[in-house]
Amino acid sequence: MLKYDKLEKIGEGTYGTVFKARSKDSGEVVALKRVKLDDDDEGVPSSALREICILRELKHRNVVRLYDVVHSENKLTLVFEYCDQDLKKFFDSLNGYIDQQVARSLMMQLLRGLSFCHAHHVLHRDLKPQNLLINTNGSLKLADFGLARAFGIPVRCYSAEVVTLWYRPPDVLFGGKLYNTSIDMWSAGCIFAEISNAGRPLFPGADVDDQLKRIFRQLGTPTEDSWPSLTQLPDYKPYPLYHPALTWGQVVPNLSSKGRDLLQKFLMCNPTGRIDAESALRHPYFTDVNDA
Amino acid sequence: MAANFWNSSQNEQWMFDKSELMRSRSEDLKIYTEEEYAKFMIFWANYIQAICTEGSAVSNNCVKTRILVCQTATVYFKRFYTRRSFKDMDPFLVGATAIYLASKVDEMGPLSLTSLIKNVGHVLQKRWPMIAFDPSPSKNAAVYDGEFILLEIMDCCLIVYHPHRPMNIYLQDLQKEHQLKEFDQLEAQCWKVANDTLRCDVCLLFPPHIIGIACIIVGAELMNREKDIKTWLPELSVDFEKVGECVQMIFNMYKLWKAFDEREQIKALVSKLPKIAPGPNGPFFHQHYGPKISMY
Repeated sequence: MLKYDKLEKIGEGTYGTVFKARSKDSGEVVALKRVKLDDDDEGVPSSALREICILRELKHRNVVRLYDVVHSENKLTLVFEYCDQDLKKFFDSLNGYIDQQVARSLMMQLLRGLSFCHAHHVLHRDLKPQNLLINTNGSLKLADFGLARAFGIPVRCYSAEVVTLWYRPPDVLFGGKLYNTSIDMWSAGCIFAEISNAGRPLFPGADVDDQLKRIFRQLGTPTEDSWPSLTQLPDYKPYPLYHPALTWGQVVPNLSSKGRDLLQKFLMCNPTGRIDAESALRHPYFTDVNDA
Repeated sequence: MAANFWNSSQNEQWMFDKSELMRSRSEDLKIYTEEEYAKFMIFWANYIQAICTEGSAVSNNCVKTRILVCQTATVYFKRFYTRRSFKDMDPFLVGATAIYLASKVDEMGPLSLTSLIKNVGHVLQKRWPMIAFDPSPSKNAAVYDGEFILLEIMDCCLIVYHPHRPMNIYLQDLQKEHQLKEFDQLEAQCWKVANDTLRCDVCLLFPPHIIGIACIIVGAELMNREKDIKTWLPELSVDFEKVGECVQMIFNMYKLWKAFDEREQIKALVSKLPKIAPGPNGPFFHQHYGPKISMY
């Protein structure tokens, strides 16, 4: 890695350490993701390979840019555009208050990035505040595509155990396997609520059971009527019929009525009913900007 | 779908015209005639397919995934040798490495490298016993290094658009409009043709939807069912000149494949493979890759 001066360690990604660094040629600040390779292991980890090949195809202002892939003796380094912080750290700096214009802008950028990925047949599958990068100028970029996959290819079942619990939709929590873009839309909804509440997570479940209970307490327990074939999901088990105890006005008090309407369109238990990214961007919450 | 292909690295970097392709192979065409080269490419596709679909290493994965991995790996192999020659890296190794890489990209699930290498030995011994191969564990290191080299030569372009998807859309459209009898047989034949196209250069010359349509034409002709697509075909808005060229190439490949007696001819082709050039070879190769990138 002679081309870059390492500045500091930023964090740990899905499969390696991330450093801030400066290019010796251009002086540009970049993020280096160092992938360690164990000789007798699996070679280049498949998560790294997926990130490389997917970001190779995706160039959008709301998707983190992969500049280069450098390899040396027994490590692989992915060179990314540098961003100042992630959404989680941004939340920490807010002290519980967020300007709703900022919230709207962040959400719009998240959806633009997602809409682009989905149009290119790429699912992110692991959306969470730690994977959304923010620059001081307020631009947001989707990052960490280590669990992403191109869904354009006709495929068998997807690997289980993706998506951090808090942002995981009920169909996946019930063991649903053949998921599609709707998995990302649920996560986007959870993040939308979290942004509008300046970083308070919507469904911070402790385990799968707790996660589902938290969801159903807010949304009502789904039934075969609201969600046909629900009971056929591999890990389905019945839950008490909760009725929503809190109104959306109580859950996301800072959000306008249009925002609350959009939020509910993301948070549909039945994945077929969930709004897609493209349609969400046309929702009055974004189009009618005068509404506070 | 098509819109994605047009923005893809495949369209931007891996579509050639015939003269470019010939130029990129000029080094190897000093050793092999064009016909020999074409036959050799059929063999490499067979080699990759045999490793992907036969033997124990891959048996716990569903057939569809194995076929997908096989196709992606074959395209990697072909792309590699548009930028490099046989003397830069041993094709047995490139083939095995391409499978290893494709199995990860296409999420086939963990594929043990040791069993993959074992399978290479097993398949060679069974189908091509005239080719000597020693599946020793030292081969693992060669594949690990090979993986880097493939990534670099292919410029990290690992997502491949195959003709099957657009072909399937066209087939469904054909069936919807014309309600063919025995459609399933036609469909199966077209899929088979689409898999076979990897034995010629069409994946480097034409966009996937052109190949897809060509496969339907070839599939129908092979079954003497041209009349089934006679009214449907002209309705498509597509560059028919290109489709025609592609159809011709696929038929030429079938002709050549039929005339290619592997058992008789493969040993001569393999024995003409150049010795791997020692030491760094061009700007892409790092010093330490030099001497050990041979597998046979």
